[in-house]
Parts: sequence; structure tokens; C-alpha cells
Amino acid sequence: MKRVLLAAVVSITACFGARTPEVVPSVPVASLPGHDRLAVDTSPKEGLRMVPPEAYVRTYLQLFGGLAPLAVQKKAKGGDGAQLFDAWSDYLATLGFPDDKQDLPRATQTNALMVATFERLGAALCDRAVENDLRSKKPLAERVVFAFEGEAKDEASFTTRFDVLHRTFLGYPEKLAPGRAARFYKLFTDTVARHQKDVKPKLAPEETGWAVVCEGLIRHPEFHLY
Amino acid sequence: MREPPTREARTLNSAVSVRLALTVALVLAAPAANARTLLEYKHYRALSIDLVGRMPTRDELAAFEKDDFDLDRWIDTQLDARGYGDRLTRIWMDTLRLELSPVIQLRPPSTMLRRVMIQGPDGPVYVYFRPGQHRAREATDGDFCLTRDESGLKVLPNQNKPPVGMPVTVSKTVLEANTVLVKPWWLYRDYRNAMPVLHFGTTWTTADAGFEPSDDLLVEADGKAKTVAVRVCKEEAQTADSGLVSPRAKGPWAKQHKGEPIACRSGVAHAMSTDCGCGVGLERCLPSEGVKKGDTAFVSASRVGLGVEQPFDRVEQSSSEWTKLWLAQEASMYLGRIIREDRDFREVLTGKGTWINGPLAQFYRSSSGSGVGKMKQYGLADDGDPLFDPGRVPIGLLPHDLSTWERVESRGPRAAGLLTMPVFLEKYATRRARGAAIYSAFLCKSFVAAPNVKLTPSNDPNLMTRPGCSTCHTTLEPLAAWFSRVSEGDIRWIPADAMPIENPKCKLDAAGKAPPSCRDHYDPAFSTKEHGVLRGAYASHAHADAGPIGAGEELANSPELASCIVERITSAFLGRPIGSEDAALVSSLREVLTSQGYRMRPLVRALVKSKAYREANDLEKVPQ
Repeated sequence: MKRVLLAAVVSITACFGARTPEVVPSVPVASLPGHDRLAVDTSPKEGLRMVPPEAYVRTYLQLFGGLAPLAVQKKAKGGDGAQLFDAWSDYLATLGFPDDKQDLPRATQTNALMVATFERLGAALCDRAVENDLRSKKPLAERVVFAFEGEAKDEASFTTRFDVLHRTFLGYPEKLAPGRAARFYKLFTDTVARHQKDVKPKLAPEETGWAVVCEGLIRHPEFHLY
Repeated sequence: MREPPTREARTLNSAVSVRLALTVALVLAAPAANARTLLEYKHYRALSIDLVGRMPTRDELAAFEKDDFDLDRWIDTQLDARGYGDRLTRIWMDTLRLELSPVIQLRPPSTMLRRVMIQGPDGPVYVYFRPGQHRAREATDGDFCLTRDESGLKVLPNQNKPPVGMPVTVSKTVLEANTVLVKPWWLYRDYRNAMPVLHFGTTWTTADAGFEPSDDLLVEADGKAKTVAVRVCKEEAQTADSGLVSPRAKGPWAKQHKGEPIACRSGVAHAMSTDCGCGVGLERCLPSEGVKKGDTAFVSASRVGLGVEQPFDRVEQSSSEWTKLWLAQEASMYLGRIIREDRDFREVLTGKGTWINGPLAQFYRSSSGSGVGKMKQYGLADDGDPLFDPGRVPIGLLPHDLSTWERVESRGPRAAGLLTMPVFLEKYATRRARGAAIYSAFLCKSFVAAPNVKLTPSNDPNLMTRPGCSTCHTTLEPLAAWFSRVSEGDIRWIPADAMPIENPKCKLDAAGKAPPSCRDHYDPAFSTKEHGVLRGAYASHAHADAGPIGAGEELANSPELASCIVERITSAFLGRPIGSEDAALVSSLREVLTSQGYRMRPLVRALVKSKAYREANDLEKVPQ
């Protein structure tokens, strides 16, 4: 049926192509047959907003203890040759910062390179936070990320500690995301189990477990969108 | 629903997974009595990102969860803080993109010191000089102050090429007869004193954290000894504010004005007078590390996405990049201050004042008039009518005062907000680019030709009537005319008394040609046998006469300005383009803006309290 209609339209157009097109008066949509009950959806069609790269980096700096960008770069690089972090200039474009000198506008949507950069920066933050918070045995008040003590012996004790991280990264209590603590507990215990037999590990099994949980949260879409 | 973190990261592009996750959370979450809902947490987090500039900390969340937390008061507090100002400044800087490309080189010959390494009596020595300097010795006039016979070197006019020849040892007598030792501003905090003692890196230990000369400026030519003074050709070392036009100076203008006084800050003074140097401590000039491309002078930030006080890097850069950094910072500071101080936003287009720091003070005192040489054929000795009157620069600001920003109440009678700032005029180097930039940025309009427009071949120089072109240029040409009196690719004001719109001196001859000296500024296509017509002014003499001030006033009085401001801010805060469904919101915000004197704080307060903003991340409202 559609093909017949299309052919008719084409032939009519061909016949009258040389003529001045007629002016077709506009009519209200509702007066068209079948359109009288058409629902008009005026709700926004856009998804969540991407956290501006400036806010992302300021949050990142705050999670590193409120240091300046160059101090964070130095601390994240560290002296252990782990190559966790290169230089800010390697990440700024992929994080979505505009470059007004080159007339490159800011990115307003995530992309694969950006996600990879989030992952890389997240790993640097979480691994250094394990060293600074968990291993150093700092007082709780001085810990920016892992502000808890003691082992996560069971799911309940894990959940209490997970709530601290959930608030830190996602901005609300874990109990408002039902089931999430249980899934992260499984991730934690699986990771700890996998690293029990590591030879000369950089991080202890439980430290690795917490680093992985931290990385899971800092790479979470809710961290990057709002 | 599973949430293995590695998969989540990979699927970030897919908003669907996020929507599903959050929708489930919203449905299942059953907050206890008096507890905050997920939507409230999300709203608070969004407010923190938009107004504080980062996500909330745990302590801030704890405060938010308390029963006595007053969100309205918290919002008001944030609207007084730095983060809010930065957020709004970003919106306008993203719109105008006011940073200058590396392609643009700000190297005024009158203020740029080049450096040559010669063989001195005791070893290699650096000597600084200014290309084109008028000298007492005819043998070196307009050139390096030592002859090829004396130094063995021929210094080429091309600044990117090193001197040619084999260096010979310069005798102490020749060296001291033609050069002097100076304690320059880039090494001494107290360079204005007769005997400076506060030396960078030794006795001057309180230097602004961002001020640092490049390594090469701190070390002598032997690569070892610390530089405590620099050797400069003696003409460049002079400190007078004015000199006399020399009888030996070249060109018809010099002949006409010989013996007359000339201001040493003028862009042509160094070529016209043997009396004009770089001033006390060489403060009218900028150093250059060497005669090569990519030379460096200062260590500074190249990426300042979080503000210049929180740089992402510190790299050695040329004096040109140094100047461009601060010109861009002036615009950013100007926008930020207007927003944070809750001033009438229309000042961005009409304000006379600005805020400047040390490097900008130095620029406006000495470099801003440096391009005037092109206008001397019209009888101009200096930029007597500049966009920024050097006399209004705060005296106390020294070139190293990077973090001290002082208010200048008025830059002069020609000033018009951002429209007369060097960074705007250099970024948008042509009249039409300037006109299009303000049309797009402040009226939210753009030039798009209708699809059925045909560009019929035509020689009509008037683009407002040329077939096809006229659809855009009927609007664009009068906009461009506002900028007829600001040189293209430059920041020089073209004064009406010396260069009227209709200038009989630039009339066409019998062959229909304009005098060569007029072609830079007068358009032969619109000139007649009675007079030349100032370039760009043909579309509107009234606009050309009013200048950028007229443009600023017209935009400020346009009803479309308020709508454009509201649309830009609302779109940025909601994270999406504004559509027909937002008409009521935009209308109410426009009313807030216009009734509150175009101040940003009431606008943003109303916006973040609006239902649209509160529910912007409520995924239950988004169709699945």
C-alpha cells in the first residue's frame, strides 16, 4: 500500500514539477483525521547531565585531601613506579575540558575515551587512598575516603563501611539503593579470595578488596552523571 | 538487576541502564520517617555541583541530613561564594572562548627585548637589545648596538634566526661604550629603587607563587653563574618618559616632526628618538630568552581550567604566551567579578571599568599602543586616544603582582565592557567576526542563510545588496560597523579627528586608485573622487561614529538580551537545550532578571528553586 502511495506521489510530483507549488494552508493538528486524540508529550527528552569536568576534578582534588592539582599529580604519581597517574595535561581533553585556545568546545556527553580516563583516574585515587587511609592507620577524622576501621568480617560489618564509601562517592546512603551493598559485598569477598595467594602483593587481600569497591563506586555512572 | 562495576563503567554511555538502576532504587527505597528521600539527596548533590563546584563531602551530607538544615539559606550562602561565580563565568567563557590561539604572537617590536650572546672580554656575555632602536651611532642605527666588526656577528632582522658569523672578543672599552648593566624588573622586586637588592631566588623570597622567570633568564651565558644584572644596549637602558624626534630618524613623518617631543611609550618612539629606552628596570619591555622560535621567558600555566591560581601545569613559555595568558584572565576576572559582586550583567557590554593585575598593568602602561606605527601617516605620533588610558593604570602594581587584582573604575571614554578588551579584539580579529560574536553570544542568534538562497555572480561591493550575500550581511554589516574604529587584528583606536569616516586625503585619483598610505584603513570600493571611506563604515556611519560603546548600548537595550541570558543559564543548569516545554519557566526567569536589574543572583536563585531544576534528575519523570 505504501509503495503504491509513494509511486502516486512521485508521478504527481513529476507531472507538476515545472509549476509553481501550491500554497497549502496550515490546519490545526487536531483537525487531521486520526490526530484528534494525539497525546503531546512535553516532558524533557534528555537524559542525566554529565558532571562538568571542573566539578569532577574539584571533587577528585577534595578526595585527595583538598590539594592543588599539581600536588595531586605528584602524590598520585608517587615514587613507587606504579605509573598510576601521568600528568593532568594528558587527561584534560578526554575529561571534556574545553580548549578555548584551539576553539575546542567542552564535551557535554560521555564517550569511550572519557570513560577510560575516569577508570584510570579512579584507580589512581583508590590505590593511593588505600595507602593513605587504610595502611597508614591515620585517625578517622583525617581520612578522606576510607574513614572506617576494622575488618569487614561479614555482610553487616561490610555494609556499615560500604555506606561510608557510598556517601563519599554517590552522595546518599546505601540503603536508598536496595541490593547494592549485597552485590558489592560479593565483589569484595570474591576479590579478597582471589588475592589470598598473591606472592609479594602490593596490597593485602582485604586492601585490594576495598580498592576494588572504591573503584567500582568512582566509576559508577551515578558518580559521573547528575 | 546486576551492577558489576566493570560493566557499569563500560555502559556509561547508555543512559538507559542508569535510568533503570535509579528508577528501581526510587521505587524500592522506602525512607524512614523524617529521612531525606533519594530525590532530595540528588537535588542537594546537583546544587552542590552547580553552586559549590564539586560534589558534597560526607560532612556536608551529614549537615544536610539534620532536621534544622535550611536549604534556602544554604543556597543563599552559596550564591555569595566563589563556586557559583566560577560556574556562571564558565558559561560565558564557553560562549565567547576568550583565550588566544598559539598562532597569535604578541611581540610588539617596541617592547620586546631580544638577546644575543657575544664573546666578551671575560667570556660569553648576553646583550639585550630592541630591534629597530634608533641609536646615537649611525653604524648601528636600527640594529644591534655592536657592529659586525666589533662582535663578529651579524644580527638578522628575522627574530627566529640566530646571528650569523664567528664571534670575536669584544673589547671592554667597546662593550662599556655601547652597553650598560641594568638590574631588570624580572630579577628584582625593588627594581624601581636606585639600588635594588631584592633579587629573585636569593634575597627576594616572597615572590608571588606564580611568578618565575625561565631558567635561562636566571643564569649567565656561561651556564653557571646566577644572573644579578643584565647587559643592555645603552639606548634601551634609558629611563626617560619622553624624548625628541631625532633629525636622523627615517621617513617623511620623522622629517615633518623632527625636534618635537614624543612619548617613549609610543609604539614608534624607539624608532624615532635616541632618547627613548625601556624605562626604569626595563619595565616597559619584556625579555626574550633567545633568538629562536619557541623562546621562553616565564614559567606559567598553559591550562587553567580551574582558574589561574590552580594551574594544571607549569611550563616555560614566551613573553607572548605570558601576555596572552593575562589578557584572557582579565576577561575571566571581569565576568567573575560582575557575577560574584552581583552587578548589573549589562556591564559586560557597557562597563567602563575593569580589574587588572601586575602583568596587565605593565601591558596597558607600555605595550597597548605599540601598533600605532601603521597610523603615523595620518599624523599620529602615539595612540593619543587609546581604548585603555595608560594614565589610569594603578601606579603601585608591579609586573610581578600576579595575584593582586585592582579595580580600575574607568579605562577611558572608549571602553565598553568586554567589547574593548584586547582578548576580545584579538580573538575576533575582524569587524565582521566581532559583530557576529556579539550577535551570537548576547542575542543567541546566528547567521544561517535560507536553503533557497542563490549566490548570483556579482561585483557589487555592498554585501547588503549583493544577491545571496544580503540575507546575512544586511544584519552583519551594520554590526561590523560598530567596530570600524578599532583596527582589525589589533587594539588600536582609530581617532575621528585624524581619520574621519569620509577623508578627502584618501580620495580616489583620476585612475580610480586611492593613495597607498590610505589602503590599510580606507576602502577604495566605497571611496569617491571627493573622499575615501573608512573601512567597514559604509554600512552605517552612525554605528562607526558610536564605536563599540554604541554596540554595547544597543545590545544592553535589546529585549532579546534578557531572553538570551536566561536561555544560556537555564540550558547550562538543566543540561539540555531549552525547548517549547520550557516557555513558562523561561518567561518567569526573564521577569526575575529584568525586574532585578539584570543581576545574576536572583536569576540563579529562582532557577535552582524551580520545579524544572529540582526534578531535572528525577528519572521517574523521564519516559522510559
